[in-house]
Amino acid sequence: MLSVTMLALAGQLLGAAMPLASGTDVEHGRPSATSAEQSGDQSGDQAQPPVTFDPTRFDSLTALSLRSFLDSAAEQGLPLGPLINRALEGAARRVSGARIMQVVRAHAAAMAEARAILGPTTPVADLDAAATALRAGVDEKALSAIRTSRPVGSVVIPLMVLTDIVQRGVPIIAARDAVTTIARMPSSDDALKGLQAAVAKNSVRGPGMAVDALNRYLRGTVSGGNPPSAPATTDRKPIRPPSP
Amino acid sequence: MTDRDVLPFPAPDQDDADIAARIAALYERTPATDATQADRCARAVLAQAMHQSSRSALGVSRTRWWWGAAAAAVLITATTRPWRGVVSTQEADSAVGRAIAAATLSGTVTPSDSAVRFDLTLPTSASAVAIVGDFNGWDQNATPMASRDGTWSANIPLTPGRHVYAFVVDGKRWIVDPLAPQVPDDGYGPANAVVIDGGPQ
Repeated sequence: MLSVTMLALAGQLLGAAMPLASGTDVEHGRPSATSAEQSGDQSGDQAQPPVTFDPTRFDSLTALSLRSFLDSAAEQGLPLGPLINRALEGAARRVSGARIMQVVRAHAAAMAEARAILGPTTPVADLDAAATALRAGVDEKALSAIRTSRPVGSVVIPLMVLTDIVQRGVPIIAARDAVTTIARMPSSDDALKGLQAAVAKNSVRGPGMAVDALNRYLRGTVSGGNPPSAPATTDRKPIRPPSP
Repeated sequence: MTDRDVLPFPAPDQDDADIAARIAALYERTPATDATQADRCARAVLAQAMHQSSRSALGVSRTRWWWGAAAAAVLITATTRPWRGVVSTQEADSAVGRAIAAATLSGTVTPSDSAVRFDLTLPTSASAVAIVGDFNGWDQNATPMASRDGTWSANIPLTPGRHVYAFVVDGKRWIVDPLAPQVPDDGYGPANAVVIDGGPQ
């Protein structure tokens, strides 16, 4: 145990003193120009400020493990900013190093899966949002549908809204149909935010109300559009069937 | 002295059959109950109970059901107050809404040209609130929020794009805005997400 700790400390010192693997800028949370070109990531992280990996926020073993993992993630062309952010959030919440590594690994795997679904030129923000959606239970088919509904431009807002309303109890199929229907409309970001707000406000009122709010919002937003599923509740009085 | 000596009846192994036969004969001699008579009897008892006066008030004697119905009518009228106007009804409803809003946590995000304003209203008092997120390295000391009239606020210059954030109350309690878009609890706890317009399209 002592030898492992000493090894970790030595590794951390070495890591601080020596440059990391070629093509990686772990300190600033992004692959170097070479690896960015290789991975086809042309977004340049314009939407995200550079994230700094601060090893002093972690214990020595976790810092060493993170360095090693971020290095291998950079070699695969994965953006490091979202991964470093996950690690920093865990450190701020004072969770264990093992838990931090577990979350960072899971997020990296989800980002790799999202890149395979959305395409290699997907911007970092889209990849991060898609990875979050996958981890929330959104399936591959829904991600593809979102990409298809908006072939050009960012899909961050559709993905964020889809993730949120699925978490609030809307079934994935109904959520996917609603979000893709609205996302196909021009300038639909505000409409998508409105959908999220309507579902969030109504979901606290009880089971089924989230789906009901989604259907009502969709009917009001898309004129002439058919709701993806029957409403969970209705204001109309039940119709008694004629007695035989 | 044995138990057999104190028992007032004969031993069961000798006289059981005899006793059973005598009881059976007794029941056979009992006349069968007339169903019509029993029904007439029950109806008479019920009728008397329905019309029996329980108490009198102001010299008025009424049956039990009358007093019960009167009490129910008074209660319903006092609760619904049908003479109350529409405006009054709306005021009461909005008062309930305000009370609910005051008892729950709420937050707003207001983007402007230079910065994004985060407001948070807490149902309970707090001595310090900070906002943490990917824009400040999740550092609790980086962006403290200022309190004004019970609302905690912070102006943060954010680059366009998606940002994940949460609030830390008194340095210990991590909370999220329940109505804002949320990212799932991926092992740490939930957080909020916001997209600042002007990101890559």
